[in-house]
Amino acid sequence: MRNLIAFFRRFRVFLFFLFLQIIALSIYVQYLSFPKNQYLTTAAFTTAKVLEAENEITKHFALSENNTALQRENVRLRKKLPQSLYRIDRSLLKINDTAFKQQYSYIPATLINSTVSRRNNYFTLDAGRQQGIHRGMGVFSDKGVVGIVHNTSEHYCVVKSVLTKDINIDVTIEPIGLFGLLKWNGRNPRYGNITGISNDLHIKKWSKVITRGGSGIFPRGLTVGRVERIKVIEGEPVWDVVIKFSENFRTLQRVYIVKNLMIEEQHALENQIPPDPEE
Amino acid sequence: MNSITKNIVRYVLFTIIQALIFNRLEIGFGIHLMVHPLFIMLLPFEINVFVLMLLAFSMGAIIDVFSNTYGLYASSLLLMAYFRPIIFKFYSPREGYDPLKEPSIVDMGSRWFLLVFGYLLLIHHFWYFLIEIFRIDEFLFILQKTIFSLIASFLLCLLIQTFLIKKSSAK
Repeated sequence: MRNLIAFFRRFRVFLFFLFLQIIALSIYVQYLSFPKNQYLTTAAFTTAKVLEAENEITKHFALSENNTALQRENVRLRKKLPQSLYRIDRSLLKINDTAFKQQYSYIPATLINSTVSRRNNYFTLDAGRQQGIHRGMGVFSDKGVVGIVHNTSEHYCVVKSVLTKDINIDVTIEPIGLFGLLKWNGRNPRYGNITGISNDLHIKKWSKVITRGGSGIFPRGLTVGRVERIKVIEGEPVWDVVIKFSENFRTLQRVYIVKNLMIEEQHALENQIPPDPEE
Repeated sequence: MNSITKNIVRYVLFTIIQALIFNRLEIGFGIHLMVHPLFIMLLPFEINVFVLMLLAFSMGAIIDVFSNTYGLYASSLLLMAYFRPIIFKFYSPREGYDPLKEPSIVDMGSRWFLLVFGYLLLIHHFWYFLIEIFRIDEFLFILQKTIFSLIASFLLCLLIQTFLIKKSSAK
């Protein structure tokens, strides 16, 4: 017993250090994969309030660029309004559309905090559970895919951006229809990688990369970027495809969150697949 | 100014500056500016080790909360606080440290500061990027980030120090 007390007395500084270090690292490991609550993230109320106040000042720095982007999008959407279309059949009555049903709806949000130079970059948005946002929803901007919602609080949410280690969004290279998983190697926020594309197929430079829409997180056909170059991986039958993101994440401010109205139906159907007995 | 109030002001100031300004700056080449280790460095010589570690842990945790790093800053700053007394002891002058002095470049001379703060910052940065990336095949990337960030942060800390010291001597 005396030895034990002597041991604690002798190593008390180191033990105290070890204790705190274990707390810090266990929080880090836990939150990286699945955050239990929002208290230690920017989705927490006080932190988000401070960041929002800061954003009030800094958002004006890129104002003109953002305005042009929004204006361009408005023009594009306005073209699709019924008023801007020429009516050929004047006697047409307004009918209830049964051929198309709304599958995706979009919630607008503003970025109040973001980083691009880390190994894992997270964005904070000013929309949360009150706006109907849950973990796992997709986030995109008018130029391209941004990320997936990681953690939510009442009025804010944290987005795991495509600039993280294991984002794994399923993407397709047009027009061949090859699909692979989107990755990021942590170097340059303008370039990403696609893995899992076998090298017996030729890919043209500058072919468009879009979302595949397979997991129901994103609708099919959202822009991700363009193929920049194709590299050979030694000893593996797959290409290392480098793509250039169409979105510049450094100046990103306005985003939309995807709400899939039929996600539960899809999940219910997919859960009926019998589990592999070998697994 | 009283030593305690001075350090409280510094604590708040360094936390805000790091969380809201330097964490947002992106320079390229993997440079990530960090000035908050300077606060741990500038604490008095005679400070209790437990207080020192608690201060480092809490400061790191606050910066973590603001930048979605979940304990990364807390862990690396804590490691630096743990090594601070050890390295201080190793480089102590023959007659010991003068408790009236501050461990800054003005009071202790540039050679002492370069060595001690250089080692501490190296430990801090290396641990930070090691935990952040955590992959053996990206080890060269870790080294690149550590060395470039180390040089940039060190120069920035020197700059900040000259401002701080000038202000306190004017009063």
